[in-house]
Amino acid sequence: MEEVFLRAVYFGTPLLLATLGALLGERAGVVNLGVEGMMALSALAAFAVAQGSGNLLLASLAAAAVGAGLGLFHALVTVTLRANAFVAGLALAMAGVGAAGLLGKRYEGLPLFLTAREEVFALASVALSVLLYLLLYKTRPGLYLRSVGENPKAVDLFGGSVAGLRYLALGLGGGLIGLAGADLSLAYRPSWADGLTAGLGWVAVALVIFVGWHPLRAVLGAWFFGLLFFLQFRLQGSVPIPPEAFAAMPYALVILVLALSGRGRAPKALGVPYERER
Amino acid sequence: MRRLAFGLLLALGLALAQTDKLKACFIYVGPIGDIGWTHAHDQARKKAEAALPWLETKYVESVPEAQVVPVIDRLVGEGCRVIFATSFGYMDGVLEAARKHPDVIFGHASGFKRAPNVMTYMADFYQVYYLNGLMAGALTKTGKVGYVGAFPIPEVKRHINAFALGVRAVNPKASVYVKWINAWFDPAKAREATEALMSQGADVFAFTEDTPTVVQTAARKGKYSFSHYSPMLKFAPDHVVSGQLVHWEAIYIDFLKKVKEGVYTSKNLQDVDYFWLLKEGAVELGADYGVPINPKHVSLLKAARMKVGGKEVPVYDRVMALLKDMSSQAPTFDPFTGPLKDRKGVVRIPAGRKASLQELLTMEWAAPGVVGDWPGEPK
Repeated sequence: MEEVFLRAVYFGTPLLLATLGALLGERAGVVNLGVEGMMALSALAAFAVAQGSGNLLLASLAAAAVGAGLGLFHALVTVTLRANAFVAGLALAMAGVGAAGLLGKRYEGLPLFLTAREEVFALASVALSVLLYLLLYKTRPGLYLRSVGENPKAVDLFGGSVAGLRYLALGLGGGLIGLAGADLSLAYRPSWADGLTAGLGWVAVALVIFVGWHPLRAVLGAWFFGLLFFLQFRLQGSVPIPPEAFAAMPYALVILVLALSGRGRAPKALGVPYERER
Repeated sequence: MRRLAFGLLLALGLALAQTDKLKACFIYVGPIGDIGWTHAHDQARKKAEAALPWLETKYVESVPEAQVVPVIDRLVGEGCRVIFATSFGYMDGVLEAARKHPDVIFGHASGFKRAPNVMTYMADFYQVYYLNGLMAGALTKTGKVGYVGAFPIPEVKRHINAFALGVRAVNPKASVYVKWINAWFDPAKAREATEALMSQGADVFAFTEDTPTVVQTAARKGKYSFSHYSPMLKFAPDHVVSGQLVHWEAIYIDFLKKVKEGVYTSKNLQDVDYFWLLKEGAVELGADYGVPINPKHVSLLKAARMKVGGKEVPVYDRVMALLKDMSSQAPTFDPFTGPLKDRKGVVRIPAGRKASLQELLTMEWAAPGVVGDWPGEPK
């Protein structure tokens, strides 16, 4: 029983970090479908630095920096250049995965002898969820950040910088997504291969909606997905339920929750580029 | 204008004809940088090119199975005279393209449909899996050996069965617990399937998946494993015992030589099937090239004993003896020698004969000792 819980947590950890990252950007009103590509590139960065320096902290920081950089790039494209966030995000996801595959060729098949502990990432991810909750709900910058996702015009009228807040949210969020990548290539499966993220970024995109854009619910949501993922293998062969049913369950649940909730809890200005009226 | 173009084409054609090189092209389903199937084919392509001075090669990677025909058309247009398609799912596309291009020679890896200009080939691991099974049977303390399987198709089932027969030959009470991940490449699924097997008590692991995930996951908890396809010793130097390695170049070089010599043409491949094993050097037993058994585990395997024809022998000696026998020109031993029953007690191979190639290629039954879901299991 205890190990079932541990698997749920450990598999859920990269999901949680990526979900928090995407959630932060969406709270500020910018949809981020680029998570998969951001995770892939930061996972590669983490592995490359760890392989070169043997320093896991440095490797994690490098991953966070790459993630943050990509988040800021997404902000540049969507906030400053006002590109459609959905299209830009899709492009980021595909280009990121492709670029990681290309750049990572020389790291494939290499072992990593110094590997990070999954417990550290798990604990850090929970701490970050709480911090993010406190930031969003208990501080003035958090209030501004949430407002920018609900009513950017109001923030603008009160003298807040809509663009600045969105850059901040996407940059910080990108850093969190970068840590998710680091967890994958340093702890969850310490090596690099093209396709390492295997769709986890997309699950995170769905999870943001599933947990209703709330950082504390994200913890439970990610662990719940982790639990379902592990159970499809643990129960295979011991119960008459086909394993495909478990494999499909997370997605079926997302659809169910979406159907029930509509877009009720989504930030009101989500996906709408802000344009100041003249 | 048209005359000029025609003249240029003619000149180009003459120039190509004069080089007298055989152009062989390879179509891969995955990226050449995976640590498994496609990587192994590409290594073999390079070795063939190095070994045959008259050979010129080209490859296209990550070709989705539904798009093989247009890719073949393009390659034919670029002058490829021999085309190797290296995924089971290319099978019908290859046959369609072969009808369109009757003068081009095709090779299809792991398939079973042939044509006058389509041959099939496979470097198969079942003998090597049996040897790994012997070692796994000697090393398990819980009597539970874990197997992470890619897809429940005859090829993978054949390998698990051979492995389980080996495990049971050493330890008649042991079982092989199988989990399917329904993917050739998915580290996350391989990881969780291994964790699930460990939580059910498995302490030795083998697998079919194109990454070292199972090896790494098992080693974290100090469990033994057998690497698959590529040398994975470096990923867990203390815990990888042995494994199976492939040498596709053995097949490529032999076939291309015969094409060059005119033995094989686009008219006579209907019955050409390379199902190459240890004897032909298409596969190797090993944790790494030239390392059949990790030296760290040799003493354990020498201490473990098994019964062979009523006599007690060290497992290590048995593995080495069988490896030598099956690598020789006239092997006397084969894992699938009757009488063999499946796990339900039905006789699958009668006493006194070996499984036929047809029986090997269509194997759906599960060997005794195999535990777990087995989609497609015959009644």
